[in-house]
Amino acid sequence: MRDAIPRDSVTTESDRPILAAEAISKSFGGVAALKDVRFELRAGEIHALMGENGAGKSTLMKVLSGVYTDYEGAVRVDGETVRFSNVRDAEAAGIAIIHQELNLVPELGVADNIFLGRERVIAGLFVDRKASLEAARGLLNRLGIELDPEARVGQLRVGEQQLVEIAKALSVEARILIMDEPTSALSPGECRRLFKIMRQLAADGVGIIYISHRIDEVMQLSDRVTVFRDGRHVWARPMAGLDENTIIAAMVGRNLLDAHRRDRGKGGGEPVLSVRDLSLAVSGRHGWRDVLKGVSFDVRAGEILGIGGLLGAGRTEILETIFASNEGLRGGEIRLDGIAVNIRSPRDARRLGFALVTEDRKAKGLHLHESIRDNVALPLVGRLARFGLRSFEGERALAKGAVDALGVRCAGAGQAAGTLSGGNQQKVVIGKWLATGPRVLLLDEPTRGIDVGAKREIYDLIFKLAGDGLAIVVVSSELPELLLLADRILVMAEGRQTGLISREEASEERIMQLAAPRSARGRAVA
Amino acid sequence: MNFLKALSRTKLYWGLIAIFLIGVLSSPLTSSGRNIFLSSGNLLDVLRQVSTTGLIATGMTAVILTGGIDLSVGSLMAICTVVCAMLLTVPGDTAALYLGLPAVGLAVLVVGAAAVRFVFLNIEKSRAGVTHIRDIQLDRTRGTVLPAAAGIVLCALVLSFLLPQMQTKFGVLGVLLVAPAVGLMFGAVNGVIIVVGRLQPFIVTLAMMVTALGIARLTAGQNNAVLPVYTGSNATADFDMLRQLVFGIVPMPGIFFIVAILLYGAVLRFTPFGRYVYAIGGNEEAARLSGINAGRVKIVTYAVSGLLAGIAAVLYVAQYRQGKPDAGAGLELDAIAAVVIGGTSLMGGRGSLAGTFCGVLIFGLLSNILQLHNINSNLQLVLKGVIIIGTVLVQERNAYDLLAQLRLPGASRRPAQGDTSVEERTSRETLSITMGGKKK
Repeated sequence: MRDAIPRDSVTTESDRPILAAEAISKSFGGVAALKDVRFELRAGEIHALMGENGAGKSTLMKVLSGVYTDYEGAVRVDGETVRFSNVRDAEAAGIAIIHQELNLVPELGVADNIFLGRERVIAGLFVDRKASLEAARGLLNRLGIELDPEARVGQLRVGEQQLVEIAKALSVEARILIMDEPTSALSPGECRRLFKIMRQLAADGVGIIYISHRIDEVMQLSDRVTVFRDGRHVWARPMAGLDENTIIAAMVGRNLLDAHRRDRGKGGGEPVLSVRDLSLAVSGRHGWRDVLKGVSFDVRAGEILGIGGLLGAGRTEILETIFASNEGLRGGEIRLDGIAVNIRSPRDARRLGFALVTEDRKAKGLHLHESIRDNVALPLVGRLARFGLRSFEGERALAKGAVDALGVRCAGAGQAAGTLSGGNQQKVVIGKWLATGPRVLLLDEPTRGIDVGAKREIYDLIFKLAGDGLAIVVVSSELPELLLLADRILVMAEGRQTGLISREEASEERIMQLAAPRSARGRAVA
Repeated sequence: MNFLKALSRTKLYWGLIAIFLIGVLSSPLTSSGRNIFLSSGNLLDVLRQVSTTGLIATGMTAVILTGGIDLSVGSLMAICTVVCAMLLTVPGDTAALYLGLPAVGLAVLVVGAAAVRFVFLNIEKSRAGVTHIRDIQLDRTRGTVLPAAAGIVLCALVLSFLLPQMQTKFGVLGVLLVAPAVGLMFGAVNGVIIVVGRLQPFIVTLAMMVTALGIARLTAGQNNAVLPVYTGSNATADFDMLRQLVFGIVPMPGIFFIVAILLYGAVLRFTPFGRYVYAIGGNEEAARLSGINAGRVKIVTYAVSGLLAGIAAVLYVAQYRQGKPDAGAGLELDAIAAVVIGGTSLMGGRGSLAGTFCGVLIFGLLSNILQLHNINSNLQLVLKGVIIIGTVLVQERNAYDLLAQLRLPGASRRPAQGDTSVEERTSRETLSITMGGKKK
């Protein structure tokens, strides 16, 4: 695989990048995801790419691997400018990507998956099973992976599937390997095995781009680090001599939002919502798996509790478990105004005065082709009806109230919700829930996909609602947003609560430290 | 959007008008020069002929609006024709009785209890006034005990009306109670399995289609016997009223059809239930998260679909003077075709009963025209198929924006959004589904 590079030239060429991205910009519908970033990878190095959610890491990788083709700037492989028109082109150039999500067919065997789409055939018709099994065995052996090439992928553990994915990527003779959060589903043992393989590959001359949130892993594994923030390149440095805090500070940056802030209420009084030992277990292939465990917090009237943590840390699950909108075994105690409540369905939750504004407003929050009026009135259609007849007047009044109160910019309450801008759609969803007169407002990523001006309006709205005495819980991936909104911040890591910090002690660095999953760290709750 | 919707609706009426004009212009004339197609006798005949399909299409519309489908209606109708014919002609202990009486009992119990609870709920609502926006909760007495008691009393009353008819033969009112109740029960079973078992409506109702056909044959007994109904000789003469003209003009089945369309149409338009039907079809998850009991709404749509199949069955028996296990064969497909021609989206959430009414009439007029021209019945089938495709193609023009969206470059490959977390989340969910971890 490495024959292409003559041995004696390796040392002289090792400083020349095998892959270089220069001045790459990419935007989605006017929202810039990458602004003039650069990145370079040398043969035989493990190069970590770090940044917060939305920093542009995955976007750049998709540019490099031919997924996104409409970008500005240049990609060079071995010094030559290339422009991939699809993933196949990138593969041909020796670039393989292992996405965070697995792209395997569970019903097929290991070998079949490795050579999917590139089957060895006899007479141009029949799959040569024997040849592909042998080739797969050879490949797995070389990587030191002990897997039966005939085993069905669906029966393997996730960690083993990840290894199959790696074997698949390497079967195309890749010289450049991109790994996007490959360890998020692996056990510590599997991680170690993966790292060993990675080091061996690097020693063979493969350049590896490694994306991970686990700073300790990055520090022990990689040769160089590049940090992105808000779609911009911050710096690229050799790992030697770097410490954790330097990296975190670079990822987080300084005040991105010119934080303007209301005067806070006293935040005293009895808790409106009180959650004790909340847990959620979902059934998986290996029995029940804990998604949440031992989450406890209180929210008082007028208080905003922020929930921070990395993706998959269980933030959304907290809200969904309270609202009983997810599947699985829910445990723990929820008290509303000091009275224990039993919430078995979103219907119960709504009746009790909970409101959930979901992360994915198009799939879970709105009826896009229906009018603003119908959307806002939906939860209350039954309540407003008299003897089975809908009160169209009442529904209209409700919608008008919401549109006026929240300043939804629209042609009228009859406009279809799907034709509104993201910010206005979000206002409609919030308006729908405010109409139900909630005590507790659960907001999941309330400003996702919303432009800056509208974000501001949503923040003002949240502050106003807190001022009106609602107990508010906000989940957000954006640390500046959490710091701006929250009175206290609950930090989650791997389904556990790792900290509940007050506004005064909260900083982006502190949250990141609490949120970082440590492969070494035990299961103890901090 | 509204404009487009209005346009699509007019397009529908245009379709109806067009086919009507074709009928008028191409119609053969009588010897006295009168247009046969236009004669009131012919048009009323069309109404009579479409009534059975129409009733079934009415129930089907609501099911499809929720995003479901009901393939079992033909077989349910078959069961009900057998039950109906048997009750009318055979006195005493019959299979139909064992099927029918529990169904009636259960149906009256549940519907009665729900109705009483509904009344209490609304009295309480009026008392609370509009300012109280929280849902109204009933106390135990009025929420459970009294409705249950009322249901039992009602059930007893109905059974005491029906039981004496056991010894003799059932009358019109009797079969009009029992046959629809049987349909309602089977329809509700469909709904419960779909909701509780979280299964695809297609597969559940397909299984019910087969099962119900079997039950119909078992009930009929003796080699799938056809049960003839001769009003006046082996059945009560009153039963004939179901096939006669009302006021000497409109055929009785047509009245049933039109009333069903109007009533169910009003329910879909003016009641919270109707609103929920559309909301579930449009986005079930959003509806559920808004606190709507989606399962209950869906069960009701399937139950009503069964109920309407039962009513259609009674009319069928009156019309063809027989009940038989293959009475409704293929009817579900006619009904679905009529619903789709009427502009209701199979994806759910969009459409109306007005559209279905047009769809049913277009279908009926078409058959009528082909018959008037004495076109070979096999060729008729071919032409019908072609017309269905043609009509739906025209309808699909309204979904043009959707198609255009799907064809966007790159859209098919990967969600084109820099919004990593959403992407990652969804893909992780997809993964857990493909890995068989989570069944939705």
